[in-house]
Amino acid sequence: MPIAWNDKEPIYLQIHQYLAQLILEGVIGPGEPLPSVRQLAVEQHVNPLTVSKAMQLLVEDGVAFKRRGLGMFVADDAAELLRVELRARFLREEWPSIARRLSLLGLSLADLLEEKL
Amino acid sequence: MMPFASINKVSKRFGQHRALDGVSLEIPQGGVLGLIGPNGAGKTTLLKAMLGLSSFEGEIDILGRSPRRSRHELMQSVGYISDVGILPSWMRVDQIIQLSASVHPNFSELKAWEILEHTQIQPKQKIKTLSKGMITQLHLSLVLAMDVKLLILDEPTLGLDIVYRSQFYQQLLETFLDGRRTLVISTHQVEEIESLLTHLVFIEHGRLRLSETMDDVFERFSALDAPSASLATVRSLGPLSETPTLTGASFIFDSITADALEGLGERRRVGIAELFVGMMGPDLRSVS
Repeated sequence: MPIAWNDKEPIYLQIHQYLAQLILEGVIGPGEPLPSVRQLAVEQHVNPLTVSKAMQLLVEDGVAFKRRGLGMFVADDAAELLRVELRARFLREEWPSIARRLSLLGLSLADLLEEKL
Repeated sequence: MMPFASINKVSKRFGQHRALDGVSLEIPQGGVLGLIGPNGAGKTTLLKAMLGLSSFEGEIDILGRSPRRSRHELMQSVGYISDVGILPSWMRVDQIIQLSASVHPNFSELKAWEILEHTQIQPKQKIKTLSKGMITQLHLSLVLAMDVKLLILDEPTLGLDIVYRSQFYQQLLETFLDGRRTLVISTHQVEEIESLLTHLVFIEHGRLRLSETMDDVFERFSALDAPSASLATVRSLGPLSETPTLTGASFIFDSITADALEGLGERRRVGIAELFVGMMGPDLRSVS
């Protein structure tokens, strides 16, 4: 599925988020292989170097590891690692504007919890 | 790391006209360089110099060889497609493939047919009966079948409709770009290749106006969509360009901090096309 690019962040970060999302949702489970750099580059119409950069981030965070000659695989505790990282990121980058909007609309936490999900 | 290709102070004159004026450039292996410029800016002259197809002052080094002195050896690992590239119209598709295989040592007939399998082109078809889009497909299949290390494309998709254009780049991604092979491409249709590029070069009047990695382009330039209320403040910060929008204007800035633009509008990544128009705009207007 093609990623709907936003124009706020670099492409490699958006590919990183796309992969992180697939891992979090369990589409790619622990121990399973990530798509190859080439496959992702063709599918998303981006340079393979850009995809490599995104994959490298996953390796640095311990979310994925490389098996020589076989490609990249998802680490056992990948989902947990990502959840911690994305939670911190949500609180840092998204929550402030959501909180501002809630207070603008006069919505309290109690009001929100009453709403059916 | 030694650059894959380096161009050092290259100049070229046609009589009084300076087609290239001290152009220097380095291309790393695996890079995809977009060469963008108005008509007559020197794009084709530069690409031809790299291919050893025209004389020039200065130095060019590709894979440790000089296109001037070792053109023949270099051509074993360099492929080229130009907008005006002509294939012999009286030949059939299978004949040109056989011919290519007989003259080029690394040519794989199998690979050429594999690529053509995804097209409407028939082996027994005469080249003169092919549409412009099909000729470009055929040309691309010939070049890709040579397994070159450097591919130089001069306006490869000029005059093709959007379906052929997107197929063309898809084919490049599938069979050529692997992070090791290097691509230099000049084009007007910038948006279509933006996501493929690692390096961006703007050329005008034979001189480089911009030469950066894509990461540095996005680091250096920012776009801001500002509402009418903040226009005066934004203008005082010295934007590179301003384009009116329905609700205010969008601006491009060169080397400005995120803090300086805080609260003045919506900050976003700059588009290559708008950056090109922003940097070249005034000059382009004065020409026409």
